[in-house]
Amino acid sequence: MRFGFVLSEVGYGLRRNLSMVVSVILVTFVSLTFVGAAALLQMQITQMKGYWYDKVQVAIFLCGEDYGQTTCADGSITDPQRTDIQAMLESAAVKPYVADFEYESKAQALIHFREQFENSAIVDTVTADQLPESFRVSLVDPEKYDVINELFSSMKGVDVVIDQRDLLEKIFSIINIASVVAIGIAAVMIVCAVLLVGTTIRLSAFTRRRETGIMRLVGASKASIQLPFVVEGIIAGLLGALLASGVLWGLARFFIDGKLAKEYPDTAFISTGEVLMVAPWLILLSVVLAGVSSIVTLRRYLKV
Amino acid sequence: MIRFENVTMVYDQKSRPGLDDISIEIDRGDFAFLVGPSGSGKSTFLGLVLRELVATGGAVHVAGQNVARIPSWRVPKLRRGIGVVFQDFRLLEQKNVFDNVAFAMQVIGESRSAIREHVPEVLKMVGLEGKEKRKPHELSGGEKQRVAIARAIANRPAILLADEPTGNLDPATSVGIMNVLDRINQNGTTVLMATHDDGIVNSMRRRVIELSEGKILRDEKVGEYTSMIPVINQDGTRELRVAGPGDRGKAASGSQAFAPFDTEDDMP
Repeated sequence: MRFGFVLSEVGYGLRRNLSMVVSVILVTFVSLTFVGAAALLQMQITQMKGYWYDKVQVAIFLCGEDYGQTTCADGSITDPQRTDIQAMLESAAVKPYVADFEYESKAQALIHFREQFENSAIVDTVTADQLPESFRVSLVDPEKYDVINELFSSMKGVDVVIDQRDLLEKIFSIINIASVVAIGIAAVMIVCAVLLVGTTIRLSAFTRRRETGIMRLVGASKASIQLPFVVEGIIAGLLGALLASGVLWGLARFFIDGKLAKEYPDTAFISTGEVLMVAPWLILLSVVLAGVSSIVTLRRYLKV
Repeated sequence: MIRFENVTMVYDQKSRPGLDDISIEIDRGDFAFLVGPSGSGKSTFLGLVLRELVATGGAVHVAGQNVARIPSWRVPKLRRGIGVVFQDFRLLEQKNVFDNVAFAMQVIGESRSAIREHVPEVLKMVGLEGKEKRKPHELSGGEKQRVAIARAIANRPAILLADEPTGNLDPATSVGIMNVLDRINQNGTTVLMATHDDGIVNSMRRRVIELSEGKILRDEKVGEYTSMIPVINQDGTRELRVAGPGDRGKAASGSQAFAPFDTEDDMP
């Protein structure tokens, strides 16, 4: 079977079945947009993790007056206790995990607090005494938080050890929920797309049953009879995937780059580059889904 | 070329078989008519040759191969050696005459140059020169059937099966079609034609295989066919009666007499 002949058959099939083909394109487009969005949200999480995990630290808060912890039974932290903690951070057992650490006094804590809550009225009511001293520890591997927690939380003079990642995890869990929702919608839409491809191919096979009947009689191979239909399904799916990729790229370009990234310059956002990474997978997915569903349909409805 | 060995085709256990223990051989270059009333097994016979159907008993050999043993992926190759023509032409309405014939060559992967060279030859053979650009709706029934024949022989099959090719045509047009089939046969193609048309069978004077209820009723080198017999009943009324096995070679008896306007061909 000649390539040109297959193409002309495909073109004829697409034209004859235009409304169905358009619906396949649109449904594939919507479903793959959701798949792509879910993938991009996951990439956004990874991106933020990479960006923030370098910056977040483990904070070892030290005891102040009347803190409830058993380790704080002696009241406010004493100088020897503080020296012990610092020595522990520098000890051979802990050093491999620690990239860097610094001590933050009550006064420094107040300065940071004021910076952080610049626009809030709370700033005026807080005094340095109300804020705890702390050691700010940057870890070589942020995942090793447990080691630090275990070693320091039971030390005298340590109030509590806090992993700042916990705060980020809340944001990530929201993004995760959004991507799960997107995946859920995508799954339903993909089922629609697959069934619609099947129906379209079935209709196409029916409208061309005379052609296929003749092809069969003159001895065309099974593959050459089915190929134009499969190509037809794949082209429709492919167009849907291209549309989805285009829309995602547009969102990344104009919404994320053009708006979000300008409003939140501190945050690392995904960009068009990530869309270009996702797009080939969307295209591959559309080709595989459309191809498989047309082949399965033809096996059932096209006698060869 | 085509050999049936004790072929039985059972569609449904309860009803009688479509073909019942048939053995017959059609040689290369033969021209044979397959006659018999509807339901006698003609279509089953053609379907078995094409391997549209697989016999439930016995063996069907086409071009030296037992068709039941051909794996499904080799069936297209078998069919390339067999051309088929139908009563309803089955042309592609949106394609012109040339493209309808070319289609048969395109789908088996013939090159464009081979198609450009061969299609005009085939069209000339069936008498359609100069009508390449016509669409099927611009053609007469006879011309449509010529296009269908051209398409059937485009890939130079060794066997041509024709299922009532003149069924939709008037007698004069049918003669033209028969001449085309005869010409194809003279070029060495085995032609097997299923028909009801007594006139054509009788005037061609070729081999006749008559089927009835799935059995071969007769097989004559130069045969004739009578599908119906005009009779006069005892009360003087006239009617046509379907010819049965008992009608050949003996005079009617009992309550019915053959009508006097029988052709001399039909009566002994």
